[in-house]
Amino acid sequence: MIDPTILRLTVRQLLGQRRSIVMVLFALLPVLLAVLYALENDSSDAQEWTAKVALGGLVIGLVLPFTALVFGTAALGQEFEDGTAVYLLAKPIPRATIVFSKLVVAWAATTAVVVVSAALTGAIGLSGEPGEGIIAGFVAAAVVGSLVYCAAFLWLSIATSRALIVGLLYVFIWQGVVVSLFSGVRYFSISQYALGIAKAFITAPDEIFDPRLNVAPAVLFAVLVTVGATWLSVRALQRWEIGEAT
Amino acid sequence: MTQESPAVEVDHVSRWYGNIVAVNDISFALNGGITGLLGPNGAGKSTLLHMLAGFLRPSAGGVRVLGEPAWQNPAMYRRIGLVQERESVYPFLSGYEFVLDSARLHHIAEPEKAALKAIHMVELESAMSRATGGYSKGMKQRIKIAAALVHEPQVLLLDEPFNGADPRQRLQLMDMLRAMAKEGRTVVFSSHILEEVERLADDVLVIVAGRLAASGDFHEIRKLMTDRPHSFFLRASDNRRLAASLVADASVYGVELAGDDLRVSTSEFASFTQAVAGVARRAGVSIYEIRPTDESLESVFSYLVKR
Repeated sequence: MIDPTILRLTVRQLLGQRRSIVMVLFALLPVLLAVLYALENDSSDAQEWTAKVALGGLVIGLVLPFTALVFGTAALGQEFEDGTAVYLLAKPIPRATIVFSKLVVAWAATTAVVVVSAALTGAIGLSGEPGEGIIAGFVAAAVVGSLVYCAAFLWLSIATSRALIVGLLYVFIWQGVVVSLFSGVRYFSISQYALGIAKAFITAPDEIFDPRLNVAPAVLFAVLVTVGATWLSVRALQRWEIGEAT
Repeated sequence: MTQESPAVEVDHVSRWYGNIVAVNDISFALNGGITGLLGPNGAGKSTLLHMLAGFLRPSAGGVRVLGEPAWQNPAMYRRIGLVQERESVYPFLSGYEFVLDSARLHHIAEPEKAALKAIHMVELESAMSRATGGYSKGMKQRIKIAAALVHEPQVLLLDEPFNGADPRQRLQLMDMLRAMAKEGRTVVFSSHILEEVERLADDVLVIVAGRLAASGDFHEIRKLMTDRPHSFFLRASDNRRLAASLVADASVYGVELAGDDLRVSTSEFASFTQAVAGVARRAGVSIYEIRPTDESLESVFSYLVKR
């Protein structure tokens, strides 16, 4: 189901991009803020600030979706852009193998960046305060959230040539504005799934961290979106047609 | 593939994009040998090749390659190779890695050996360790060809394969494709350059405005192109006297005086061009200028369509 040659090609492709370096720098932003916070503030509200602001707001709310957007759309989308997709598709490889291989690399790259960001931000932000599962919870959220986001953005990159724009609209407008205004649509927010999953590991009281989704629906929707988007990706790739400009 | 199946079979295939018809009800069957898809830019050659390669779904009709449907059939790529026109290579891979990965993706038993053999065929050994991102257009074209034939496909499809190649590379690629055809493989390539097709193809499919204008043996079609009605503009010291002399020549079927020009219509290109100087000399007329009215490839193609 996974092709080692596609894995290797995709890793080299993603590592060679300037935007990958930009994403790593972007992921260091919450770490920097945590350092500033630790230097400037006493530790009385360290747990709440770390969970709600640094990890929930910045890492899961910003770093995770943007990193996944960059890696998820580039893993295959870049090949559609530059025409190398035909090199890959003119091979006797099941389309599912191509999708799974691309997804694994995008997921691994996103996870690596976001987990490091979450772990460092958490460790510095808590400044020796009891963790109460906060770091573990957000690391788990980063791992699962990366998979769901990458699956969704990989599908977008096959389905539309404007995947980055559509992805940005989803992250900014849908998740940033609509979901925060209307609680009912939280079931359609990948960040909310990630936050819900984080809660499964966190023993701190609700005043410290209280996501909008409980663990069970968060896991259920995360699975549904991942499986659904992956199935759509395979289907779209099977029906993919070369553009006249390609 | 059954014994009876042609290598490539196109049955009443059309492809349209909205209201635009790119390929219009084309049918043909090909077996081993080299076939040139000839036509002006935008005629529908690439669309047709992409349908043969399974990268476009026909809007109507069917395409079968080696007895199998081309659309949504990745297993078919075990036996076909495609070289597209676009300069698409992974710039971070060396030429060797690019071909080697192609061999690996085909799950060839000895990918390293197959990659070296394919690179040798396109004579790119000296540059195979360099990153393809630094290759010239012609080198990119050759490394793409190596990647497309690393699994020794039975059918090789090439879209404008000689673009960017210098004359020596062009000859070398032509020799290589001829050798493949000799082994019984089917090679289909597109070109808008008559001379390329003339030098390489055994058979030709002339595509104009999405339609199959002519097909068959190249020399027969070339003869049709040469023997079509031609017209020339002439300017001479005495147009009227030259017109009177030319109209008596068997190769000329019409003369027309238009201002300072004399327009002559002929159905026999070769006879007329050989006779015109002698006719003028005997009439005591000096010819200052002679030029065909329209010798563009488009006009040749449009003549074939109207036939």
